[in-house]
Amino acid sequence: MTLAAIDPPQLQRQSRRQSQRAWRAARVTLLAEFNQWGRVGSVLFMLLARTCLCFWLWQALYRSTSTSAGMNRSQATTYALLGVFYMSFRSVNRWANRDMMVQHMLDGTIAYWFLRPVTPRRYYCVRALGDLAYGGAWAALAYTVCRSTGLIAAPVSAAAGLGAAGSLVLGLAILYYLQQLIDLACFWTVVNFQLVVMYGIVQNVLAGALVPLWFFPGWFVGFDRWLPFQGTLNVPLSLYLGVLPMSGLVRDLALQAGWIALLAVLTALVWRRAGARVTVLGG
Amino acid sequence: MNISSASAGDQAGTIVAENLTKVFFSTARVPGPLGAVRSLIHPRRVATTAVDGVGFRIEPGRLAAFLGPNGAGKSTTIKMLTGILTPTGGRVEVNGLVPHKARIANARLVGAVFGQRSQLWWDLPAIDSLRVLADIHGVPPAELRVRLARFDRILELSAFWDNRARQLSLGQRVRCDLAAALIHDPPVLYLDEPTIGMDVVVKEQVREFLREQVEQRGRTVVLTTHDMTEVERLAGRVILINSGRIVYDGDLDGLRATHADAQDPTDLEAIMRHAFTADTDQDLDTLDMEQAVPAG
Repeated sequence: MTLAAIDPPQLQRQSRRQSQRAWRAARVTLLAEFNQWGRVGSVLFMLLARTCLCFWLWQALYRSTSTSAGMNRSQATTYALLGVFYMSFRSVNRWANRDMMVQHMLDGTIAYWFLRPVTPRRYYCVRALGDLAYGGAWAALAYTVCRSTGLIAAPVSAAAGLGAAGSLVLGLAILYYLQQLIDLACFWTVVNFQLVVMYGIVQNVLAGALVPLWFFPGWFVGFDRWLPFQGTLNVPLSLYLGVLPMSGLVRDLALQAGWIALLAVLTALVWRRAGARVTVLGG
Repeated sequence: MNISSASAGDQAGTIVAENLTKVFFSTARVPGPLGAVRSLIHPRRVATTAVDGVGFRIEPGRLAAFLGPNGAGKSTTIKMLTGILTPTGGRVEVNGLVPHKARIANARLVGAVFGQRSQLWWDLPAIDSLRVLADIHGVPPAELRVRLARFDRILELSAFWDNRARQLSLGQRVRCDLAAALIHDPPVLYLDEPTIGMDVVVKEQVREFLREQVEQRGRTVVLTTHDMTEVERLAGRVILINSGRIVYDGDLDGLRATHADAQDPTDLEAIMRHAFTADTDQDLDTLDMEQAVPAG
């Protein structure tokens, strides 16, 4: 049968829904990484180096004191190492894969995102989940090894562990939406390099990734508490260590969920506007 | 022609554009440091009309070639037909759909290759990219095997599809991109300068593939190219576009007859030069056309 003989209304009826198998695009991450064992090796090396350096640094910092800013050596080391494992969630080097949104904008290949039976927003989500699963596997591996060797402490209680795990999932969702907004800026600015740098600094400082937040003044921590960044890292780790009490768990999780809802609505609106702003550079 | 009335009975593969217009807005930069400050405080918006009232109808199972100098509006027109760009004015319907409003439904019914821009994942073997794209389009595995075998027969993809996209030559990559664009078997295919930079052998292979898609499969193909040999070999219909307007729409014989006073009326390149100089004083060095080879 030739294509022209196909009944268009029938085609249209079948084709309004988004593809149900598009989630399988999540495997692109794994396929790309496992096609280059050097890249897998470099992730392993970086994780190992960061873990060792971080462990030795915090051991050295606590050599002459047993407690600093209310935290003992074990808590500080555990916080720092969990922060390192957390960074593993973003192990995938999309830049090397020429698969960052800014690269698609510059190359003009963003056009293809609008020629698939799945919205660019859902495609972005599917790919991010693939990245997260790959990075999460590394983080889980590192956590298991360090727990079994005693480099990091166990959660203060089983409830704290569960609370921290729940908070971690919400924190990753916040991180996903924040990153998405930075990427979406490309539809207006084409490139977002400066924005990425600024966001990186703000995110790392306000989330407590560079320096644990307990070293900052009280007013700063109080102000930061109402921003989305703390929920990405400091809140789950503080719950794990018992720095944040379980009595405040519901409030902490609700604050994170509130940010997720707000950011989800915002990104949906931005995607809608972005769809009308697609330009393909160079003809 | 009225699109709304035309669409009700249109077959899959029909493309209709009516008074299609695209205006791009940008901020004019004033040179110098003071100019930069002035542009920041008082930005001057400049409107550029890339496509200006274009209208045509392409029937199912036909190949139409869009020809014109660089910046004439060919690619912008194609991107409006695909639904990627939203028209500033006028109307467009493809397969009975307004592409930029029904993007999901439209995506199932069209495929596209934009020159050297590849939709293959850079670090994946090409065959993996094709499989992932088939998943995204919801192509069943059995159907995928049949289609891949069909593409492989003419494009000889299996010789290199285990290589990562970054390792493929330009010709190999574009052939894989052609397969990627047709993996879901759409009735309409858009090709924006697909053979640019390819060697003669690969070009001929791609032409053979396109001929089969139109003649055997009944696919509607819209092609932009600067390659006059391609036009001679493939296009039953040519649409000449210059400065965003259609200056000719018809078959090659009609074009030759219209420009019988060209320097060499048998040479398509000479006819193009004549057509565009008659229309504007545009610098024809930008035409970048290959020597035309008579059909047959």
